[in-house]
Amino acid sequence: MNLDPEIFRQFQEIGRDLYEASLISSHGGNLSLRLGDKLAIKRRGAMLGRLQLDDIVITGLDKPDSGVVLASTELVVHRAIYRRTPALAVVHAHPRTAIALSLSREEIVPIDNEASYFLHKVPVVAAEFASGSGELEEKVPAALAQYKIIMLRGHGAFSIGQTLDEAFQWVSILEEASQIIAAAKVIGEPLVEYRKMSDAYKRW
Amino acid sequence: MLGWMGQILDVNLSTGAIEAHPLDLEMARQFVGGRGLGARLLWDLVDPRLDPLSPDNVLVFATGPLTATAFPTSNRFTVSTKSPLTGTILDANAGGFWGMRFKRAGYDALIVRGRAPRPMYLEITRTGPALKPADHLWGKTVFEATAALGQGRARNVLCIGPAGERLVRIAAIMNDASRSLARGGPGAVMGSKQLKAIVVEGDQHLEFADREYFKFVVYESSKHLKASPLTSQALPRFGTAALVNILNLFGALPARNFQLSQFADAEQISGEALTDQFLVKNTACWACPIACIRQTRTARREGEGPEYESIWALGAACGVSDLETIVEANYLCNELGLDTISTGATIACAMELVQRGTIPDGPRFGQAEALPDTIRSIARREGLGDELAEGSRRFAERHGVPECSMSVKGLELPAYDPRGMQGQGLLYATSNRGGCHLRGNMLGPELLGLPKRINRFQVQGKASIVSLHQNSAAAIDSLVLCKFCNLAVAEEFFARVLTATTGIHCSTGELLQIGERVWNLERLFNLRAGFTRADDTLPPRLLQEPVADGPSKGWVVHLEEMLEEYYRGRGWDRDGVPTPEKLHELGLSKRR
Repeated sequence: MNLDPEIFRQFQEIGRDLYEASLISSHGGNLSLRLGDKLAIKRRGAMLGRLQLDDIVITGLDKPDSGVVLASTELVVHRAIYRRTPALAVVHAHPRTAIALSLSREEIVPIDNEASYFLHKVPVVAAEFASGSGELEEKVPAALAQYKIIMLRGHGAFSIGQTLDEAFQWVSILEEASQIIAAAKVIGEPLVEYRKMSDAYKRW
Repeated sequence: MLGWMGQILDVNLSTGAIEAHPLDLEMARQFVGGRGLGARLLWDLVDPRLDPLSPDNVLVFATGPLTATAFPTSNRFTVSTKSPLTGTILDANAGGFWGMRFKRAGYDALIVRGRAPRPMYLEITRTGPALKPADHLWGKTVFEATAALGQGRARNVLCIGPAGERLVRIAAIMNDASRSLARGGPGAVMGSKQLKAIVVEGDQHLEFADREYFKFVVYESSKHLKASPLTSQALPRFGTAALVNILNLFGALPARNFQLSQFADAEQISGEALTDQFLVKNTACWACPIACIRQTRTARREGEGPEYESIWALGAACGVSDLETIVEANYLCNELGLDTISTGATIACAMELVQRGTIPDGPRFGQAEALPDTIRSIARREGLGDELAEGSRRFAERHGVPECSMSVKGLELPAYDPRGMQGQGLLYATSNRGGCHLRGNMLGPELLGLPKRINRFQVQGKASIVSLHQNSAAAIDSLVLCKFCNLAVAEEFFARVLTATTGIHCSTGELLQIGERVWNLERLFNLRAGFTRADDTLPPRLLQEPVADGPSKGWVVHLEEMLEEYYRGRGWDRDGVPTPEKLHELGLSKRR
């Protein structure tokens, strides 16, 4: 099965954007897209910022096939996400400020307007092994059935959408919101609430 | 049982028996309400192989747990039945006020069985439900019957017009005069039962599991509705007709029975033209901040509409550019109780047969003056109208040119040429009620960029998006909400407001799985009715005749490639039959 050039273009552009926005390190992060009962995912070891056509592997959602030889170590988590959530695209990135916040809290509740509007709240999920484990396969999809983006403590964000573009947007908004939270903490002045019913964001 | 009223009213017109049954909570959890509950009840009550116009067919009117709650657009309700036009399972939904009033009368659903020995209407008031003679109403138009039955602030009327009485297979059921349960011919089923109308009065109070959280989700949803230019500006100002110029721009506005993909006179029938020339004001259904209804006036008449689809069907599809005639033709369809899409599209089919010389006489493309009389003749089943009353597929087959019916499973296609929107083609082909844009609409991702724009000509990967949108539409139709709310408010808000209303936790994923369950149950009904993979197709024109000119030039629908991916992604076999594993996953194993 060959990848449609239009779909490859999406991988290439979003991968490049993630790297340039410092949301991943040189070989970090991952992207995948659902194609019926298959998924297209970044090849193990490939750099998202420099994707070539043969860096994208197509493999089955349920049944193992030879594609797993080349696929990312996080394939099992991506598969589980597609099986248990409405996701059609998954972005996994390492947004630095959000990772820092995930080390000290159970959820990230934005204080800026855009993230409040789009995300309301981002839960932090804790797992002993930070990649490729059965624990992740269980916990990450369960959280993503409820939230479109979640943080894995100390590791990074998993975000879902109908397109890579949409899933990327949630990561981008989360990192900006996290930087604003951090900056407000550094400034250290009392916050003036400007949102109605803001206490309810924690209940999202 | 918060969110639901806990009762189903069951009326047998053959015997006159009226009973109320408790709503099964497990059934409500699995299928929610509206379309889902209707499909589940039909599964038990109707043999999928029966004649839809026989007394054994039933009508299920259903609201959902969000109906009448004041969540934006929570005014809708559905009717479910076996369609006399397509032979498939059918649901249609409408806005207005009737659904809210029916729920506040204390019921989640109404089952109508049998056939009355004489014309009757059902009245549900504080003193309870009662069947009453309707001989004096039989033959009256929708507007006449609605007025005669006392439509008012606390009393809402749903009825059929002359088309439904005469078993026209494209007849609608109308509520609040001009709201319409339109597609697939539910009006003919109601007519076959000799049930002219259902009148409801109701003011019962609704309880919420978590009123404060409910208010928060409503507030957040309202922000999205206000922020979206589509729901806060385009729809209130131009109505759905705002789409005429947009679809034409993309080369996806079908004209002359889909022989063309652009209409040269689109500007003359656009939302802008409608607003400038005929709009009196915009109005809203109950609890709707969007307010897309058009209150319009011509030199001779005043009424509601037309919607985009109606402008297209009675306009571009027929090559008609006289907007005043289109506006009045829409009034006429409402008055007689006809589905405007199928009416216009069936007339367009007749026009192509005249163009080809297949039939010697009849309406011609561009002949605006032919519309009113043709529409009346359909509703009265007179002359050529009697043939057109059977819908375009039966009409075209009768004359030996089935390819001229632009329909899927017998339901006339709406106003989007799928050659310029590949995903829309797959959506039409696989729709459980036939050619329809409301079983999920690829207009959002393929043209409007909602939630994000995808290449409209891309084929690979489209099946997954179509499946997701179909599941989402089935969930929204089960809540029951308006699809326009979903143009700005995502499914995660609906899951949370459902939780706040009922107290039963529902995640976004679970809500979409409910939609998938409904979709699969409908599929099982159709398979039992005799439909196969061969019915998941499109008219040959869309598969074989490339668009001749414009932005979609050279394209046909690449259906087979998408269909393979669609079946596999849905967990169906190569024949389009849900696998045992998929049915088990959805809790439908007993329905195999």
